[in-house]
Amino acid sequence: MTELHNTDAVTMAYINMYAVLGTLENLCQLVPEAKELIAGERIRVGFAVKGGPKATLVFDGGSCTCEEGAEDCDIRLPFSGPEKFNGLIDGTVTPIPSKGITKIPFLLKKFTKLTDILAKYLKATKEDLKDPDFYEKSTTLMFYTIASAISQIGNHDRVSEVSAGYMVDGIIRLSIAGGPSAGICVKNHRLKTVKRTPKAPMAYMEFADVTTARDLFDGNVNSVACIGTGKIRMGGMISLIDNMNRILDRVGLYLAD
Amino acid sequence: MRALNVYTKSREQFARAEKVIPSGVYGHLGPAEGCFIPVEAFPFFSERASGTYFWDVDGNRFIDYMCAFGPNVLGYNDPDVDEAARKQAELGNCVTSPSTRMIDFAELLVDTVHTADWAFFAKNGNDVTTMAVMAARAYNHRKKIVFFKGYYHGISPWTQKMDYPGILEEDVRHNIYVDWNDFEGLAKVFEENRGQIAAVISQPYMHGNFADNEFPKEGFWQKVRKLCTETNTVLVIDDVRAGFRMDLAGSDHYFGFEADLICFCKALANGYNVSALCGKDFLKNTVSSLSYTGSYWLSAVPFAAGIACIEKMKRLDMPKILIEKGARLKDGLIEKAEKFGFDLRVSGMPSLFYLRIADDPTLMLHQEWVAECVKRGVFFTNHHNHFINAALSDEDIAETLAVAEEAFEVVRKRHPKEV
Repeated sequence: MTELHNTDAVTMAYINMYAVLGTLENLCQLVPEAKELIAGERIRVGFAVKGGPKATLVFDGGSCTCEEGAEDCDIRLPFSGPEKFNGLIDGTVTPIPSKGITKIPFLLKKFTKLTDILAKYLKATKEDLKDPDFYEKSTTLMFYTIASAISQIGNHDRVSEVSAGYMVDGIIRLSIAGGPSAGICVKNHRLKTVKRTPKAPMAYMEFADVTTARDLFDGNVNSVACIGTGKIRMGGMISLIDNMNRILDRVGLYLAD
Repeated sequence: MRALNVYTKSREQFARAEKVIPSGVYGHLGPAEGCFIPVEAFPFFSERASGTYFWDVDGNRFIDYMCAFGPNVLGYNDPDVDEAARKQAELGNCVTSPSTRMIDFAELLVDTVHTADWAFFAKNGNDVTTMAVMAARAYNHRKKIVFFKGYYHGISPWTQKMDYPGILEEDVRHNIYVDWNDFEGLAKVFEENRGQIAAVISQPYMHGNFADNEFPKEGFWQKVRKLCTETNTVLVIDDVRAGFRMDLAGSDHYFGFEADLICFCKALANGYNVSALCGKDFLKNTVSSLSYTGSYWLSAVPFAAGIACIEKMKRLDMPKILIEKGARLKDGLIEKAEKFGFDLRVSGMPSLFYLRIADDPTLMLHQEWVAECVKRGVFFTNHHNHFINAALSDEDIAETLAVAEEAFEVVRKRHPKEV
């Protein structure tokens, strides 16, 4: 991981854990191919990164959830540091389980296939995006990845910690009109993303449609101009939105190819 | 109920603008930074302005409580200021040798501003706050600058924060942030950075955005002044926003202390583009040594306008007039809010009041009410202090209160009060 723009490997590892692998939760809900792949599986895969995140992906009969901690698992993948874990996501590091050797076939076959499907949607080709259904699902999954990355960057990236330091307690609703919605919960300048519509947001930022969201995620339009045209709606405690947007600006530094 | 504004042409013009101008309308006059919520309630472009009003490109008239974010202090197109500017324009404006209007203007400021022994001119507030910080560093050869949290001192990199796009960590490495009104916190910072603090820079009271404005505690400024004097630290007052709306002698004078450097812009020339840094004699040689200038900084027309503006403000005792008008408006707005069960907080100086409906911590109710006012021709803004100008009449205040009442009624109907 380079130190370009003050980015760092630890923050990248948290993003890879909770925002990238965390989006498997949504992939298994949205994409039938992914859901079918894990339909019969009941297995807990733990990731323990020294000096980084510790979390478990729980596959349970067609669903996937991401839980904190890597103790209660069937397969445990230890990583000696954030760089090694980031290497797993980049495809440059092959993990060796410290527990659950007999479950390796799941890792090598189904889990790898599942992450390939995720990559197909998160790093979509122009050709794939011509299919409206794929376009919508791809954008929805990107939305969840970005919403989750905001919290990880706000909590770990040294530049974005400044932004989080100016955020008051409250929940920001981030949403695409008629589509996915998430809450960025701020408490004592720590952020947590909850991937459902918050009941009582302190502030909101909503993209008018999937196309607007996609164009913004791809960097094809400018968010400030979109506020002028009404393609982005914001309201409530604007200082929360203001600071979240500074963090959002840094998402691309970590997630762009 | 009043007819609601329609902004068809504003939208058409914005569509043109965003093709050739980054974000269409950038900065504080634009829909994003200006917090136009919802965007449909607000005009984007003006056609003309006069007195306390502006008309947008759709022909809607607004009683303007933003006053171009401060510069309009006498009323748009004030005849005395415009006549002085016109006469100077006939003689010359941006010329190889500056006009002696510059000397006249500096003399007038030295006579008017309590702490001023000299005046240096530029164009925008940011020019002179930046110069003040440079002057402090050149004077005592120190690096660190103390800010009070919630500050706004312009847009140069040193005024921004590390997480802003385009700002380097190195740009703000020497910035120290202290809570407003926390003298003990400030003293601790001085102790921890002994001999390293070049300047303390502050607005005369806290008029940051998104929060009620807050006056200094009793004796706060006097203690800060003493600390700065004892440590040979330069005390800079950024009076760009409040200047001449509290006290023509400077807002430091209003609060009973003397800044070493004081920055003016906004109300200095009723919309003509000039800013001024005024200061004490001991800093004059240091300022002389700085390499700091601009293509239009010595243009004569804004000097002539500034002279006419300040002379008129002195003649009319402008802060008194603006504070009285603001106080009448404040009392009226609170009364109208109470009628519909809203807790409207009006903070800061009445001449540059800040509004917040306190019933709702999310501020969404406040944003709804402001939108309803704007749609009915009263230009309030959501999370910035407002400005009063001299052309605001009693009839304008009455019309504003009538609109405010109607807007409160609409919002209350949408959000019935729980019994």
